[in-house]
Amino acid sequence: MSADSDQGRERQESPGLYVESTVIMTTVRVIAPFVLTFGLFIMFHGADTPGGGFQGGVVAGAVVMMLAFAYGIDTTRDWADARLVALLGALGVLTFVAIGLGSIALGGVFLEYPLYPIKKASKYGMELVELGIGAIVASIAVGLFFLLAAGFGHAMDEPEGDES
Amino acid sequence: MIDLLLTRYNYYATMLLLGIGLYMLIESENLVKKVIGMNIFQTGIFLFFISLAYVDGASAPIVGKDVEAGAHVSPLPHVLILTAIVVGVALTAVALALIIRIYAEYGTLNESTIEELNHD
Amino acid sequence: MIEHAPVLLVVAPIVAAALPIVASMLTDRAGWPIAVLGLGIHTALAGWLLVHVHTEGVVTTVLAGFEAPYGIELAVDGLSAVVVALIGVTSFGLLAYARRAQPRSNAFYAQYLLLVAGLTGMTVTGDVFNLYVFLEITGLAAYGLVATGREGSSAVAALKYLLLGTIGASLYLLGVGYLLAATGTLNMADLAEKIPEMAGYDSTLIVTAFGLIAGGLAVKVALFPVHTWQPDAYSRSPDTVSALISALVSTVSAYALARLMLSVFTVEFFDAVPLAQWGLLAVASISIVAGSALAVSQSDVQRMLAYSSVSQFGLVVAGFAIATPLAVVGATVHLIGHAIMKGGLFAATGIVRRKTGATTVSEYAGLGSRVPLGAGGFAVLAVAMVGVPPAVGFVGKWYIVIGAVEAEMWPVVAVVLASTLLTLAYFARLIERLYFAEAEPTEADQPLADGSGEVSLGMKGVVVAAVILAVGLAVAVPVYEPTLTETLPQLL
Repeated sequence: MSADSDQGRERQESPGLYVESTVIMTTVRVIAPFVLTFGLFIMFHGADTPGGGFQGGVVAGAVVMMLAFAYGIDTTRDWADARLVALLGALGVLTFVAIGLGSIALGGVFLEYPLYPIKKASKYGMELVELGIGAIVASIAVGLFFLLAAGFGHAMDEPEGDES
Repeated sequence: MIDLLLTRYNYYATMLLLGIGLYMLIESENLVKKVIGMNIFQTGIFLFFISLAYVDGASAPIVGKDVEAGAHVSPLPHVLILTAIVVGVALTAVALALIIRIYAEYGTLNESTIEELNHD
Repeated sequence: MIEHAPVLLVVAPIVAAALPIVASMLTDRAGWPIAVLGLGIHTALAGWLLVHVHTEGVVTTVLAGFEAPYGIELAVDGLSAVVVALIGVTSFGLLAYARRAQPRSNAFYAQYLLLVAGLTGMTVTGDVFNLYVFLEITGLAAYGLVATGREGSSAVAALKYLLLGTIGASLYLLGVGYLLAATGTLNMADLAEKIPEMAGYDSTLIVTAFGLIAGGLAVKVALFPVHTWQPDAYSRSPDTVSALISALVSTVSAYALARLMLSVFTVEFFDAVPLAQWGLLAVASISIVAGSALAVSQSDVQRMLAYSSVSQFGLVVAGFAIATPLAVVGATVHLIGHAIMKGGLFAATGIVRRKTGATTVSEYAGLGSRVPLGAGGFAVLAVAMVGVPPAVGFVGKWYIVIGAVEAEMWPVVAVVLASTLLTLAYFARLIERLYFAEAEPTEADQPLADGSGEVSLGMKGVVVAAVILAVGLAVAVPVYEPTLTETLPQLL
């Protein structure tokens, strides 16, 4: 499977998939950093106010989707390397588990935040866990977006339905 | 009787969504419509949970600088539904990925055609 | 120290599931060693937990230090401990099978480990919503595993499983919502106290909640008539996946149903609302008969085994629904025994298919001499499933029958005895074909052309181990019986 034949097939079968539009490109270029900041804001504020890892992760993943719509899905897929995205997700899982197991090592039960020797450990522990969850959700949203958008070419090569 | 009809409209909405979702799931021939029906079914359940949490005249369950005394809307069902929504999104994603693969293999998304092709 | 064991049992497979994805930056073959390591730790912890529960009683722990009923509590008693041990041993043992069998990518092993994590979580949890979350995790991993087959029909089978399984899990969630509305708590032990206090056993709310929960879990256990996802899912997935899913997924769902029936709704609910008990017994009995009847008419061996599962799980649910101590012991023994026998049967059919390409009953003719280990293992396990003493299949059925006789539920006794004859009907036909029919000299006995026709030592070892366990576990039942009756509080 070469990128050329995939692109050729894509342009043949679904010409509506990428439309070059100056308005969209300019808007996305201006908005994307703010959306990412907003996503992180939601992730950080999960403990006290509406928000948290799930919602923030989806917004952060939506940034990559916006870029894909503005600049073309294949270009964005090459830029956001699939293995890097999977690594981000796995690191999110390991962060959560490390925080949980750390409190067992310090003598308490799983995920008992107050045992950590920092001030306001409960608040910071929860925020770090929310960041981990946000990373997982963002990586899954981006990964699934590329898997679904790839359509037929990808589907013939990878028989697995989902990665995690 | 009228009182029952007028004040419990959230339960009617829930049952309506559950019924529509289940009907779409069973009756449509197109696989994507079945997945949409599954989503609507789950949305009905979410609506049921969230409307359970509401307390008449209560304030939002947000911890601010000064916590007002008085009734707060219960945040527990909200948290449960957040998790359930994420589960629903993951299921929809897996279902759509499977549908793409089915389309690549069979060339059609019509359920009865696929059954015939399978039994050949 | 032991109170960390339930948490570590769930965390170890999750960590092990994330590692192949990290390792896929370097290599695509790292899945199997990581799975062996992770599941080895898991099995060791499960064994330690089982021994501890046997000697010292129930193990409970809370997550994050938030006390129950505000936090999430994990509780392991005699019933959970033996199911966790089953999960550990089966999933670890099937890794020996999976080493040579087909999907070998990192993603496959990540899903395998996620399935084990979900199953363990379902077993050790003491909170009804936590059960829903792990039920969905198990389901997602199972749908992904079924879809790893090569042909397009695997994807169709996985989609059908997904749609039906989601309906089941959503009905369960609705039932949990009704329970939350009635009592305001989600902790199982707390619910058992609050239900009679706050709503009463015979209020419409609680009866509806029971109906929804039982209906939702019945879809996952694959009782008749909501079993239709099972034959496709079992016959169209790769051999390792069929063995794993048939042995574990419906088993743990039946365990969840039993846990909710016995520890949340309790025997008093059945006394107060006899309609609920009779309704469940009716569904279970219909499953027993319909499953066997449908199995007799199948020509594909794996579909026949799937319908046989429908019948056997009807037996298990009937045992739990009778709710006397002997019947519950019998149902548990049959649950564990059936898991081992069914997993072994699917492993044996996998070996036969690899060596000769035979998948239907007529193609199985005369294979007793060509595939001695596969056919022999199949025959012994089939006979054990019918219920010939001293195999574990006999012990389970015997206890259930005695429990039903004690409770004077004569229709159930008749159905259970009839089920033995029906099981004999479809298995005897196959065994007769294997050994007493002439081998047909057809083209159906080519080994598979894509190089996967070799049968490794690991595969044979798995079948032999299943046979030994199926016969040998019957000895362990008297040792286990006091653990169950003493730690399941509602039976005291």
